[in-house]
Amino acid sequence: MNANRFDLGGGEPIITLRGIAKSYWREALEIPVLQGIDLEIPVGSFVALMGPSGSGKTTLLNLVAGIDRPTGGTLEVCGHELNDLDDDELAAWRNTHVGFIFQNYNLVPVLTAFENVELPLLLTSLGRRARRERVAEVLALVNLTDKQWNYPRQLSGGQEQRVAIARAIVTDPDILVADEPTGALDAKNAEEVLGLMGRLNADMGKTIVMVTHDPKAAHHARHQIHLEKGVLDRAVEVNR
Amino acid sequence: MRWLALIWKSLLRSRRRTLLIVGSLVLSVFTVAVLQSLLTTLDSITNNPNSGSRLAVRHKSGITQMLPRSYETFLRQQPEVETVCSLQWFGGYYQDPRNFFANFASDETTIFQTFREEFGLANITEAQVKEYLRDGAGCIVGESLALKNGWKVGDVVPLTGTIFPINPRLTIRLIFKSSRPSDENVLHFHYKVLEEGVPRMKGLTGAFWVRVHRPEDIPRLIERVDRHFANSAYETLTETESAFNLAFVKMLGNISAIIQGITIAVVLAILIVTANTMGTAIRERGAEIAVFRAMGFSASRVLSLLLAEGVLLVGLGAALGLLLAQAAAGGVRSAMGAVMPFFADFEIASATALLCLAGALAVGLLSTFIPAYAATRRPITEGLRSVG
Repeated sequence: MNANRFDLGGGEPIITLRGIAKSYWREALEIPVLQGIDLEIPVGSFVALMGPSGSGKTTLLNLVAGIDRPTGGTLEVCGHELNDLDDDELAAWRNTHVGFIFQNYNLVPVLTAFENVELPLLLTSLGRRARRERVAEVLALVNLTDKQWNYPRQLSGGQEQRVAIARAIVTDPDILVADEPTGALDAKNAEEVLGLMGRLNADMGKTIVMVTHDPKAAHHARHQIHLEKGVLDRAVEVNR
Repeated sequence: MRWLALIWKSLLRSRRRTLLIVGSLVLSVFTVAVLQSLLTTLDSITNNPNSGSRLAVRHKSGITQMLPRSYETFLRQQPEVETVCSLQWFGGYYQDPRNFFANFASDETTIFQTFREEFGLANITEAQVKEYLRDGAGCIVGESLALKNGWKVGDVVPLTGTIFPINPRLTIRLIFKSSRPSDENVLHFHYKVLEEGVPRMKGLTGAFWVRVHRPEDIPRLIERVDRHFANSAYETLTETESAFNLAFVKMLGNISAIIQGITIAVVLAILIVTANTMGTAIRERGAEIAVFRAMGFSASRVLSLLLAEGVLLVGLGAALGLLLAQAAAGGVRSAMGAVMPFFADFEIASATALLCLAGALAVGLLSTFIPAYAATRRPITEGLRSVG
């Protein structure tokens, strides 16, 4: 097997990376972050990207999520060649296909839990009533119906992250990308959030790509991909 | 949630900051609206639409010097002249020195024709005029002045002179209604009351007001009158009514330049303050903007939301500032309208209000656009890194 090419099992790939490279420049100095990444992630996968700091895992996640562009190679996600999309098309694509879960939750502090979850739906063609129904549905899914009118400051860290997950799935995206989703949580809340993500993967078929340093968190994934100095190092199937 | 709710809630994220910036906008718009309205009011003194066919003839040395009333004969003889009216500022007050208003000794026989627009002559009956002419101690007052003092026809108004040593007791014979409030804050009485009461004023007047048949005759008439009285003991300075009024305004200094200077300073100051506030507010939301964009909000949509916040903020400040200015204008009218009649017309004109609103919106857009544009052009990944 090519060191940069992994087979994560059968199934149609939802994410296909071919020769992906990403470099940053400091004045004239090129700093390569990712080099020649070839990777196919099948629909319904739960992948943990792991590796030391600076290995390029968050950069890889950002590329897959369409919030950054590669400097080389091609990237096909959810049937779209992301290189071909302009910024506005890419934004619309993200709204439809990707849900984001951040380490620090990144909820809007002046909006209630309900309104935070509703935010991505403002960009859809759904009417007000349909939006409200959909928001109520996902808040029930993350078990936060009773906290829907609370502001983020009135929620615990675990509750905030569950609101963030509800916001990520409210548009029913194909892929969830999570950057250290449990990094700011205690063990109990981390376990709860990871359990929720596991259910979203198992029950709703969401493809999840998660960056984590935490082996316990990575254990919830079905595959672990390790990066080392900008290249794929190894892939491990998680045995439970 | 609707877009407007999202914008409104974002605006209130830092209530103290929003309150302070709205407060400074209110004060700025209030200041600009009042100053610009003051300028408009002063301009209206020199741009009275009824003044185009009137001339003022006064002493060449200044408005405090008198002219012989006999000059009237020559003035009347000029073919361009329709009427001539002697007019002398009396400067009296009613009951209390603070209860000051414009009052004149004027030629009762020609005052109505000379200032027929100001008196609303079409609404005055011949009998009313005759009644005033009949009573040598009679007077005529504007409706605003009468209402303010609770006067009605037949009431006696004792005036205390401040320039001339007489205290005439005048009976109101006519209350007139004019199209401009400033023209109603005035009292006229028979010229002979002044001449008979003040011996040194016998045969003298402060100015003649001359009404001509055709405005185009004015330049020729001015030149002829001043030439005729040149090198006499009482040389004249004849000028249009606008120019005469302008002389009063000029006594206040270059008000226009001062007001425009202050306006520019206020606008620049508020632009800097708003730009700084909006810049700080937007920079603090770097991560949030990145999250919005990650969720699928395009850069232009986020930019629109931020601009809408800026516009809403200044719009709110401008609207409150204009409301405050409107309230203040009412206060100015009632407090100063009697003392300086032109202030009876003081108002925040819709053109001034629109100018202030447009200016405020321009400030909002200008001060928000640059930081908002920069924030929405920043790479999403960079914005997300600013978390924590």
